[in-house]
Amino acid sequence: MIDRPSADRSPSPAPDVSPGAPATGRAATRRWIATQSRLGRRVALPAIALQTLSVALAIAQAWCVAVLLADALGGVHARDVRVWLLAFAMLGLLRGLALMLAERRAAAAGRAGRRRLRGILLGGLLAQGPALLRGHASGELAALAVDRIEALDGLFARWVPAASLALLGPLLVLLAALAAQPYAALVLLIAGICVPFSQAVFGIGAARAAARQFVALSRLQARFLDRMRGVSTIVLAGRAADEARALGIAAAELRRRTLRVLRVAFLSSAALDLAMVAALVAIALHDGAALTRAGAAPATPLGVARSLFALLLVSEFFAPLRAFALAYQDRMHASAAAETLVGLPAPPDAVVLPEGGEHMPPAIRTVQAHGVTVAFEDVRFGWSAHRPPVLDGLSFRVPHGETLIVAGPSGAGKSTVIELLLGFIRPQSGRITLNGAPIESIVPEALARMTSWIGQGPVLFAGSLGDNIRFARPEASEAELEAAVRDSGLAEVVASLPRGLATPIGEGGFGLSGGQAQRVAIARAFLKNAPLLLLDEPTAHLDPVTEAHILRCLQRLAINRTVILVGHSQAVHAFSGRRIDLAPRTRPQVA
Amino acid sequence: MVQQTKTGWAPLHRIVLLWRPQWPLMAAGLVVALAAGLAGLAVMSGAGTHLAGLVVASEGHAPSHDIAALAVLLATPALMRLTGLARIVLRYAERLVTHSATFRALAGLRVWLFAGIARSAAGGLGFLRSGDLLSRLVGDVDVLDGLYLRLVVPAGVALLSFVVLVATLVAIPGVPAALVAAIALLFVAAAVVGPVLAARAGLHAGPVLNETVAALRVAVLDVIVGLREIRVFGAEGRMRAMAQSRESALFAAQAGLSARLAAAGLAAFLCGQAILLCLLAAAVGWAPFAVPPLAAIAMVFVAIAAFEPVSGLPRAGVMAGQMASAAGRVIEAASLPEAAPDPAVPVSLPPGHALSFDQVGFTWAADRPAVFDGLSLDIPAGRRVAILGPSGSGKSSLAALALRLAEPQSGQVRLGGVPVSALAAADLRSRFAWLGQTTHLFSDTIAANLRLQRAEADEAELWTALEQAGIAEVVRGLPDGLDTWLGEAGAGLSGGQQRRIALARVLLSRAPVLILDEPCAGLDIDTERAFLETLNTVADDRTVVLITHRLLGVERLDRIWRLVGGRATAAAG
Repeated sequence: MIDRPSADRSPSPAPDVSPGAPATGRAATRRWIATQSRLGRRVALPAIALQTLSVALAIAQAWCVAVLLADALGGVHARDVRVWLLAFAMLGLLRGLALMLAERRAAAAGRAGRRRLRGILLGGLLAQGPALLRGHASGELAALAVDRIEALDGLFARWVPAASLALLGPLLVLLAALAAQPYAALVLLIAGICVPFSQAVFGIGAARAAARQFVALSRLQARFLDRMRGVSTIVLAGRAADEARALGIAAAELRRRTLRVLRVAFLSSAALDLAMVAALVAIALHDGAALTRAGAAPATPLGVARSLFALLLVSEFFAPLRAFALAYQDRMHASAAAETLVGLPAPPDAVVLPEGGEHMPPAIRTVQAHGVTVAFEDVRFGWSAHRPPVLDGLSFRVPHGETLIVAGPSGAGKSTVIELLLGFIRPQSGRITLNGAPIESIVPEALARMTSWIGQGPVLFAGSLGDNIRFARPEASEAELEAAVRDSGLAEVVASLPRGLATPIGEGGFGLSGGQAQRVAIARAFLKNAPLLLLDEPTAHLDPVTEAHILRCLQRLAINRTVILVGHSQAVHAFSGRRIDLAPRTRPQVA
Repeated sequence: MVQQTKTGWAPLHRIVLLWRPQWPLMAAGLVVALAAGLAGLAVMSGAGTHLAGLVVASEGHAPSHDIAALAVLLATPALMRLTGLARIVLRYAERLVTHSATFRALAGLRVWLFAGIARSAAGGLGFLRSGDLLSRLVGDVDVLDGLYLRLVVPAGVALLSFVVLVATLVAIPGVPAALVAAIALLFVAAAVVGPVLAARAGLHAGPVLNETVAALRVAVLDVIVGLREIRVFGAEGRMRAMAQSRESALFAAQAGLSARLAAAGLAAFLCGQAILLCLLAAAVGWAPFAVPPLAAIAMVFVAIAAFEPVSGLPRAGVMAGQMASAAGRVIEAASLPEAAPDPAVPVSLPPGHALSFDQVGFTWAADRPAVFDGLSLDIPAGRRVAILGPSGSGKSSLAALALRLAEPQSGQVRLGGVPVSALAAADLRSRFAWLGQTTHLFSDTIAANLRLQRAEADEAELWTALEQAGIAEVVRGLPDGLDTWLGEAGAGLSGGQQRRIALARVLLSRAPVLILDEPCAGLDIDTERAFLETLNTVADDRTVVLITHRLLGVERLDRIWRLVGGRATAAAG
């Protein structure tokens, strides 16, 4: 939605926030999964190593069992039977420990993967700033950062280790079989080759069918979620019974279609079963035949042990393959989440300070002491190259301590002026200066420190009322906080609250009225005490009585500060100062 | 309103009872799964005994077992092929049948939950912006997806394996009772004790996990919604640190659970190893357990195969714990009592539709302050009335009372002179069309969204409504017209355009009273003005109740009421 400025003088161009190009969708998702798997493998290495170790231990145990059983069959018990039993027990203990540790390491890998992705995502969100909210709903983004990333656990904790073990495990078993019983090794090798081959034959089928099943299921879930969210709309329209019936029908239809697809998908699992049973039967019959042929000479205990060993190896050979097939589900979940993650824009490059001191902003203290002078010089800005610019050649100058009122109809670019001053967007041409320094040369932290902003209603964070005001300056003293509460007219509100400043507000807390919330915003501005005050229709959603109260507070706040006020109603009349009217632009067809 | 129940496993039982219509299919799936498990046991032991039998037969120095060995020699190759084939076919059938049963059960559960929520007070919850709560419930239903497939079926197969293992041991002559007892004990320990411990851990961890994930969600939502504030106040680092600390709390809870799960898995595994150790000791003739070698070998192979389904049970146990708490929440939400139940013998609808509130006292809950205290106001039929009041003054409660989503504690609400409590809710609501800030546009076509209000409306009527709502031109301009898909994946209509679609839906209804509850919440002021101007031109013959916190001065109104201190005062008229 925001195009890169054509005349790019700024070190930090506005990010491209177009909501994902669909053409690159599937390939990008696959690439993303591949990258994540690679990164995940590094973290999952301990888990993979432990799992491989447990396969090796299982092989050793199988040998113990085979030797012991062959011994029993031979009827002559070797003297070291106890050693073999002890070895079996010890190996079992070790294997159990290895499996337990592997599971814990895999879970840790899952957490590490999620922590990394969430960190990147949150960092990206914070770096993009509010511009991001133009293209994405906040609820959607939150679901992405919490639930979607949680859903990726399976990718890092199960899929990545399972994918590695599906190669290493059977390979290890195969080598063991080769040493003991070449025929069995051959059978296992053929079965092992058949597995991926059969997967490919049945369909590419299988993978695609599973994907479709997953998509169908998530669609049903989405439909259900949608209807639940709108349940009151349905109830009030008197259509609850109809909608319940429709949900049932949609689910039945989905079931029929999904099962048709699953019939094919399950063939690939059946192929895995077939390979295992065939290997088992083939080895048993072959060795049996060998034993009867050699009927004249009784089988040596070693030969019998080798045959039993080979039989026992079959299930060890297929176990990692089955785990792999199970983990495929986790990969499906991951690619669903990945589609949305890939669509998100990358965080913009860090702001680079220009070389040399000539454009360096004056130190913050100096700015505060002298106030801020704001100037626009021939500023031009458009949200998109396809539409006419919102601001075209805007120039003005506001000396420190004075007020500028920006008026004009909706869409004329009033709020754009504020966004430019907040540094959220950059003009395509022209200059914006604060005390003579170009705005893009000021470090964002420094710009943030010299500006206060009050919009139509503040965001109240989950926490106490006091925390919410302190948000402006966490290090503020109690006395400063009290002064801000007094100056913003919040003192009465605080007195009326059950727990005063400690009353929780925001999500899940005590609800504040629009006027009270606006007072919190004013208290924040008092506490922050910044020399430049930007007011963006601060009373737009208030009833007239409350509006008058708020305006009085704002007038007090404005004293000795440079103020830029955007608004159209009473607010404009409450402030005296220079006024510019922005010309209306062609309005969008319907609001 | 919906909280964690403390009843443990009872909710899972309720869910299983709910699935009664699916029981035959579920039972069939279980039977097939058991048969597949049995066939698996047969293949495994067949392979082992075949080989062993051959050895014994060929060596011929264990005469006491000659007959058994001969039987094995003759029977097993054919039996192995047969059971092997059966195993493959049965596994395939098992997957199909159990999945089919799962799909049916899921659909049943969702429809049941939806109907329950729609009937109960939770319909009012949606009205009160509890969308998040409803989303969480939907997540709970998703958790229950695995109840049959991942819990009932594996547990059933494990149980069968146990029975077969013990039966095999008992059936083989000369197996000492001590051995049977030891193996049975170990098996039970692995298949029951481990999973139950894991389930306990899951049940206890459930609320903690829910809490920590909710805390993370709040932090992340604060970061996203507050991006502007965060930038303005330079709070990036602080907010990020907070989100990370919430994430760490969640991860700590998860790590605790996975450590306990791994320990339960280890316990089950060691039990299995101990069973094998017993059998091996028996095979080599350790005195208390000693059995004939051929039988020992058969048992070793059966034990290996029988123990396979058990190894997954601790994980299933943890899931069971989580499912139990999910089921508790779902059942509680779906069985909330109706806030305003229909009268036993409803009065038929009166001809008039003047709306009046008479000395109404109302509070949402006994421990909350009263919303109305002696509220009286009249809205004559066909008039355009505004009800003004700051947020928190109970404007939306007014609509809830008129629509009987809630019942007043004192006083009367009347429609056409008849108390609304004497009417059937469906009849009453047929007189109202409601457009509120929580009015939902569904992920569906525009036409389907409009027809929600009147299913039988033809296309011309849809266009008329769109025309009146001032949005017909925009819809005409969309490539798919009325069939354009709305919602997250749909056409990106602006907030104002969406509100107009919702208005068209309201206008499509033939209800004589329109209740517009903050219809412009979230819109910018110019969009709001344009919307209200459109509103002036429609619904001339109907009652319009506009509930809002302030007037822009463009509204055409007959009367204005102001809500102050739980009462209404006539402001102008």
